[in-house]
Amino acid sequence: MAVNYNQEPILKVDGLKQYFKVSNSFTVKAVDDVSFEIYPGETYGLVGESGSGKSTIGRSVIRLYDPTAGKILFEGKDISGKMSKDTQKLLRNDMQMIFQDPMASLNPRKKVEDIIGEGLDIHHKFANAAERDQMVKAILKKVGLAPEHATRYPHQFSGGQRQRVGIARVLIMNPKLIIADECISALDVSIQAQVVNLMKDIQEETGTAYLFIAHDLSMVKYISDRIGVLHLGHLLETGTTEEIFNHPVHPYTRSLLSAIPSPNPVVEKKRVAESYDYKTSGIDYTKGTKHLVEGSHYVRCTDEEFTEWMKKAPLVYD
Amino acid sequence: MAEQKEKILKIENLDISFKTTAGMVHAIRGVDIDLYKGETVAIVGESGSGKSVTMKAAMGILAKNATVNAGSIRFTYTHADGQTETVEILEKDKKWIRKHINGKRISMVFQDPMTSLDPTMNIGKQIMEGMIWHYKTKKEDAWKRAVELLREVGIEEPEKRMKNYPHQLSGGMRQRVVIAIALACDPDLLICDEPTTALDVTIQAKILELIKKIQEERGISVIYITHDLGVVAKVADYVNVMYAGKIVEKGTINEIYYDPRHPYTWGLLSAMPDLDTADERLYTIPGSPPNLLHEKQGDAFAPRNKFALDVDDKADPPMFKISDTHYAATWLLDPRAPKVEMPAELRARIERMKKGAGIDGSEL
Repeated sequence: MAVNYNQEPILKVDGLKQYFKVSNSFTVKAVDDVSFEIYPGETYGLVGESGSGKSTIGRSVIRLYDPTAGKILFEGKDISGKMSKDTQKLLRNDMQMIFQDPMASLNPRKKVEDIIGEGLDIHHKFANAAERDQMVKAILKKVGLAPEHATRYPHQFSGGQRQRVGIARVLIMNPKLIIADECISALDVSIQAQVVNLMKDIQEETGTAYLFIAHDLSMVKYISDRIGVLHLGHLLETGTTEEIFNHPVHPYTRSLLSAIPSPNPVVEKKRVAESYDYKTSGIDYTKGTKHLVEGSHYVRCTDEEFTEWMKKAPLVYD
Repeated sequence: MAEQKEKILKIENLDISFKTTAGMVHAIRGVDIDLYKGETVAIVGESGSGKSVTMKAAMGILAKNATVNAGSIRFTYTHADGQTETVEILEKDKKWIRKHINGKRISMVFQDPMTSLDPTMNIGKQIMEGMIWHYKTKKEDAWKRAVELLREVGIEEPEKRMKNYPHQLSGGMRQRVVIAIALACDPDLLICDEPTTALDVTIQAKILELIKKIQEERGISVIYITHDLGVVAKVADYVNVMYAGKIVEKGTINEIYYDPRHPYTWGLLSAMPDLDTADERLYTIPGSPPNLLHEKQGDAFAPRNKFALDVDDKADPPMFKISDTHYAATWLLDPRAPKVEMPAELRARIERMKKGAGIDGSEL
């Protein structure tokens, strides 16, 4: 689905910082000065290795953490500081999250209908029990489960089905933005494709936006409209999927992209991934500023680094 | 050529069930695997397909509720004096295997380095443990050897690292330590059970390159258990595709990737998005892997197979031979079967892959 980039973004994150104080002398800067926006109906992929802060961003945005600094605008309302009751209600209705492990994120003592209906219960979104029942069953059907699954418990489902329940409980709130935090990495290959297809279908139907957090780059490429590359809490490079994949500028992005294994044995056997080590690279992320590469493609670096990197040959995927 | 190759491991007609409270689970239903010296075999399949159980059987570390109904696992190893000896793993008792095989002749790298290392023991001690136990190596010698091993697996300042505990290392470093431990006793066979699933892509590439380098240097054989076809493409010589406790297709890496014959292999290959898939939707295998508690007549893959024939519900397909190395268990290969082609999108992708591999190897 074509995304209209001329409208107001649904989510605008500006200079987000999320620090965790470990002790008096030591603070972890999990997210340091990250800015990006997501437009209605768009999928924004956040990639990076573990510990790069991608999950923290998702959690700060949905306010599971209190951001240390920075501004988060959701549907034009500031949700970064103390929120008014109305703003809070808007946030809890219109932004939802799908978690990584469908085993751990569903309450084992609740029936599926109650897990899915919980949001409805809290926000009093139904007139009577029959209506609630009907809404739950309609959603179950939408995510490819049967109505009779409603009275079962999570342990009676397979991993892929459980993740469908996780998606169903998100969808029933009709969210405008869904944060999908590594929502397919715990699933089998054949099931991953099923869930990704389902997410795409839902986007087409409801026009919801996704913040898709993952480390599997081939899947991110497949689902995302735009991508942000994160490392050590800094957003190093952002742009449309084509821009990032066809012309990666930052050495870290290049190393990430060159490490994707390709299912072509003859080519794959000969390939050596580009390596990147922050400590020995001599790059200081804190000194970098935003540089425009082309269109909506930005990279964070110093002026000298920018001229040097732009000279590099484009990456060949072999 | 075939006569010269030394067979390290020969698994024949292996059949294993597990006794559970819900009933007997028939997890392995006739598996054959051959592995030659210095080669790499990959076992590919979804969770629950029995790939780990097969390898656990080869190491004699099956759970207590497992029963081996039939089959044989013959393992050939070389003594220090160059003599070879073949043992039947299934006939030996656990104690013997523990003393002579595990860690010494066959060692294993597990999926999650966080849980496979002992958090209360420094890594130096963990590397030395096997040598001291199996070979009665003197402590000083073991120490020197451990430092060498750490250097070999690419850890800088190994002397300092010897005193570190697992929690002081990053995930990639931890997996390197696990590999060092696995190599400590000079095994003939290394089994890697999803060695990179818990790691990031950049580190994954490094670890795979490391295992490959070590394999070339030492001439050991490696078995990979994985569900990632990208990883398999990088490392394997031979591929076994497993489904519901059976090998449904086996062949050389090129045969499996460029000429797959089984509908399940088609599905696996198409479900993985490659970097130039432009299709709007990913191909999926409908449904989910079967529950082996309820055994079904005929081909276990039939309910998920859109190419299934009537005969699939009645009889399990035998292995059909395609070439000397390439076999697949699907009725589609029977001469009486209607001619079925692989999905057009997959055909197009394979053509693209062949082109990329054939012309200059730079386009894909």
